[in-house]
Amino acid sequence: MKIFFATDIHGSEICWRKFLNAAAFYKADAVVLGGDVTGKVLVPILSMPGYWEVSFGGQRVRLETRQELDDIQRKIRDRGSYPAVMAPEEVDALSESGGSLDRRFTAEMTRGLDRWLDMADGKLRGGEIPCILNGGNDDVFEIDDILERSPCVSFAEGKVLDIGGFWLVSMGWTNPTPWHTFREAPEDALAAKIDAVASQIPDMDRAIFNFHAPPYGTGLDEAPALDENLRPVHGGAVMKPVGSTAVREAILRYQPPLSVHGHIHESRGVCKLGRTLSLNPGSSYSDGVLQGAILELNEKKGKVGKYILVNG
Amino acid sequence: MTAGAVGEERPTLFLRNATGLVRGWSVRDSMIYACLSTNVVTLGMVEWAYQSTFARGQLLTAIVISGIWVSFLVIAYTGLVVTIPRAGGDYVWQSRILGSGVGFVMAATGWWFILWLWAPIYGAVLSEEFFQPIFATLGTPSQAAWFASHNGIFVVTLITIALAGVLVSIGMAGYARVQKWCFYGGLLGFAVIVILLLAFGRNTFIASFNGEASKLFGIGNAYHAQIADTAKAGYVAPSLSFGPLGPSMLLVPMMMFYLLWPNWGTTLYGEIRGASDFRRVFGGMFAGLWTTVALSVVFLLLFAKTFGWAFYQSVNANWLGAGAHALPIFPYPVMMAGWLVNNSAFQVILLLLMSLWFFGWVGTLFLSSTRVIFAAAFDRVLPDAAATVSEKRRVPMASLVLMLLPAVGLGALYAYNSTFASYTLDATLVIAVTYLFSGVAVVILPLRKPDLWAASPASRVKVLGVPVVPVAGLVTIGLLVYNLVEWLSRSAYGVNHGGSLIYMGAMYVLAIVIYVGARVIRNRQGIDLGLINKEIPVE
Repeated sequence: MKIFFATDIHGSEICWRKFLNAAAFYKADAVVLGGDVTGKVLVPILSMPGYWEVSFGGQRVRLETRQELDDIQRKIRDRGSYPAVMAPEEVDALSESGGSLDRRFTAEMTRGLDRWLDMADGKLRGGEIPCILNGGNDDVFEIDDILERSPCVSFAEGKVLDIGGFWLVSMGWTNPTPWHTFREAPEDALAAKIDAVASQIPDMDRAIFNFHAPPYGTGLDEAPALDENLRPVHGGAVMKPVGSTAVREAILRYQPPLSVHGHIHESRGVCKLGRTLSLNPGSSYSDGVLQGAILELNEKKGKVGKYILVNG
Repeated sequence: MTAGAVGEERPTLFLRNATGLVRGWSVRDSMIYACLSTNVVTLGMVEWAYQSTFARGQLLTAIVISGIWVSFLVIAYTGLVVTIPRAGGDYVWQSRILGSGVGFVMAATGWWFILWLWAPIYGAVLSEEFFQPIFATLGTPSQAAWFASHNGIFVVTLITIALAGVLVSIGMAGYARVQKWCFYGGLLGFAVIVILLLAFGRNTFIASFNGEASKLFGIGNAYHAQIADTAKAGYVAPSLSFGPLGPSMLLVPMMMFYLLWPNWGTTLYGEIRGASDFRRVFGGMFAGLWTTVALSVVFLLLFAKTFGWAFYQSVNANWLGAGAHALPIFPYPVMMAGWLVNNSAFQVILLLLMSLWFFGWVGTLFLSSTRVIFAAAFDRVLPDAAATVSEKRRVPMASLVLMLLPAVGLGALYAYNSTFASYTLDATLVIAVTYLFSGVAVVILPLRKPDLWAASPASRVKVLGVPVVPVAGLVTIGLLVYNLVEWLSRSAYGVNHGGSLIYMGAMYVLAIVIYVGARVIRNRQGIDLGLINKEIPVE
């Protein structure tokens, strides 16, 4: 059984397309996306009489034709942003406080996910290749229903899924961050969530923990230390562990053969926690590179056979 | 959800509140890091002592030309940082643009193996700028001279390796703060020296130098003896000027020993980028480099004013050539400036203050090596154990062993084998080769990764419509090729001897053997390392 695991693509359409092709490319039997599926940036494209105008990559661009508009929208999506064609007064209204920007973001995120799932249907042979998706702390809750309803992907949050004789349990929640994102909870609440789902696993020796938050203090959770203004201190030279202690304790207590994580993009790595192989493939979504892990699972022995981290 | 707008009059993009959206780097922090890496005191003052290698060469000219030329390297590296802003620097860029094998061999040699040689070099600096002058000033010149002996240099190298190892173990968090204070303390020391050299004239210096040299080392009329000794040996110190250009250009490959490192922190950058990041990243490195150049120029002009230019060159040449009246310890300019005040306590305090340039710098010795070892282990090129971190203390034991043990071995060679000690510039050359491949990477980046390049803020930095970054890459290649040709074609630099070439060649062979061996072994295990950087098709 070969699994391809990636995470934190943050709305990058080029990474999503690569993810859909990963099963064929790496000859994987299943693909798993570990959370933080949606983007963080919305790029307004001003609709003017007879043309469009957009600032992209630091340059103001005037678009004269529909083809040019399509091209720039594709480029914006590839980088993980949402293009939104709107009138100048709409942009002005969005920049005022009052919640309309939040609604617009949610609309773009859900619309974007719908587009992605349409693509998935063709690529994954209508569900023949298992494709498992989960939310991450940066994903709005509105995506859950969309994923749940999709015929070609499985929404994994809080479930125990059977993949090739292994039990995949997933949790997109993380310990608190300085950004106060959607799926954050204190460590004791995370521990309770993990225990609730872990209690449903039929055989812990064949369990895979797919927890978005990496275990604390393992090198899979090193992020630049920030000051109170969210600015990296000491030129970014100082990293500090920001993972979850609840995740760490759960791995050490339950000792599944494998745990996969994301959340901290710059902390690509692998470590052993007791007998558990834990890994975080990291993320380079903004470069259009799909970082991931190819994992070969030995069904007979209930072990991870081989693994490799890739930059696809 | 909390969201915000970015743009001046009308927003050009909206950000929602999400993990990782941090403000840009502090230019000041990057500048400090770059300035300590191109360390004017620990590396610069040591390298200036070798001016007599090219007797007609002018240090000031060489330093300014080097500063201008290395500025293009800063632009090229800024382009790489903002295009692929990943921790890992050269390893990541070269792996992605030139291929995994090239990336590993260049990173392993330039950021890991050659750091073994840097350990005894750091040790020699600590001996020459800390132990020797302090013990001499405390009135124990024989103990000071012991630190210049084989045993002394080896012991100090061991101290340096232990210090760097401990700093890797405890992490950068506390050290980064120390580093910043060391920088400010070092600048304070610099200010004191400037005041001293401005306040006192040549005659006072001659008297104080003669007095201290006589008291500490028993050398009579030492000032004039330095010039006389070297003249007898055939060395005529050049007068202070900017010409001739030719011999000064020959000093440029020597100045690389300290001016080639403003990009040392580029292994540290994370994923943040934006249109303004080019200016910030460039600004930090550029300011660091030119702060060093400015400090160098100020130091040298003041040495010329108060020490006398001919004397300063001669005291160094005499020390190198072990002339009859040579100082038995390194003629450290800080020590000689301190002698202007006839007070041992003041002299020691000044030496301690200026030693902050060393202690703010030593912690980075093995930092990049650890990262390369970890990255190679995660890529399955090295055994998994190479990246293990002890559970209790979070110390990367295996990678420390891989760094420290060879460094101790080379430290012994450096201390006890004077031929090996002359290979000092190997330490610069091997890293320059790694930089050269990154220079090639930046030049071909627009062709190899057109989409990535088009999306990069670097692609929009243009002069007369021409993208600046690839052009800077070409100038960087020119800089590095010039230096490599000079290093490898002239014996004066001490790197093109048989032993030196074998030593450097062995490092490349070792890296290639490790990589090819890993490919073969992993292949047998059913793991294809060729997949690591193979791009998944989009359509």
